[in-house]
Amino acid sequence: MPKRKHTTVSIPIIMYKKIEKMIQDTGFSSVSEWVSYVLREVLVNMKKEKRKDAKVSEEDEKKIKDRLRALGYL
Amino acid sequence: MLVIGIDGATWDIIKPNLDELPTFRKLMESCSQKTIHLKDKPWSASVWCSMFSGLSPNEHQHYDFVKDGELVERKDLNLDFIWDKLDQKGISVKAINIPFIVPPYNYKVNFIPPGEGVPISEQELVDEINSVTEKTLEILKENPELVITCYTALDKLSHHHWGEPIMLDYYKRIDESLSKLVELDDQLIIISDHGFCNYDKAPIQTLPRKTKTGKIIKGDHHPEAILITKNIDFDIKQPEDVFRFLAKKYEVK
Repeated sequence: MPKRKHTTVSIPIIMYKKIEKMIQDTGFSSVSEWVSYVLREVLVNMKKEKRKDAKVSEEDEKKIKDRLRALGYL
Repeated sequence: MLVIGIDGATWDIIKPNLDELPTFRKLMESCSQKTIHLKDKPWSASVWCSMFSGLSPNEHQHYDFVKDGELVERKDLNLDFIWDKLDQKGISVKAINIPFIVPPYNYKVNFIPPGEGVPISEQELVDEINSVTEKTLEILKENPELVITCYTALDKLSHHHWGEPIMLDYYKRIDESLSKLVELDDQLIIISDHGFCNYDKAPIQTLPRKTKTGKIIKGDHHPEAILITKNIDFDIKQPEDVFRFLAKKYEVK
């Protein structure tokens, strides 16, 4: 059986209707597509924000992960 | 009060080689020593976290250096460690190279570990042992109430070189470093987070046989850790008991 790629989350019906109206003529074919797009943006921004606070640079983080891999931790 | 952590140290190498490890021999003769039989998984991030937070892995929920593809940092752990609690009470405390995260954590100490905090090459391992010792000596001169310091080199070496003669060379280096530290305080705890053993003899397999980089893992973590104490009137049975002892000693909750 193929692995499921999507799942269901609930939002208030009133919000759903507002989004449905708002995305008319925007190229988004469904509320689900728009919500996925927005959440993806939010997640990317959250990751960027987290990076800003991080004590380890992205380059060092990569080196550290390589070392952890070499030891079998990853 | 001085706490020295030695990641991955095992009696299996120390006890048969006491003739070549004079500081350990002296400590064994003059101090209390025992084996800690870990009830939880012998996994560094989690054990060190328990040791200095007083929480079981189930309580602190910190298991790995990397979570969801990201390095775990101190700020990701919503808990107080012993140094946080002591500092809140105005008790001077310093911590050096504590490996519940990578790079290992420092409290009120500026220490840059060799090898991005995960030393692997022989030079990096030697550098770590020497630099941790030097920094600890420097900190001890400031005379804080509590100093906690950790070496990770033996653990890293054991992954790839368990069973090889080189293991003893590095235990000798640790022994020499200890000789510079152990006389500097009347109260002392030396502890490992887990032991080590031949990969095939590990009661709990914690590492893959072959790493993603193609390296063969020769040793695996063992749930028997070492404990040596001097003037510590407290029964340390599990890593969390180190926190409990320190919390009792300094009257913090």
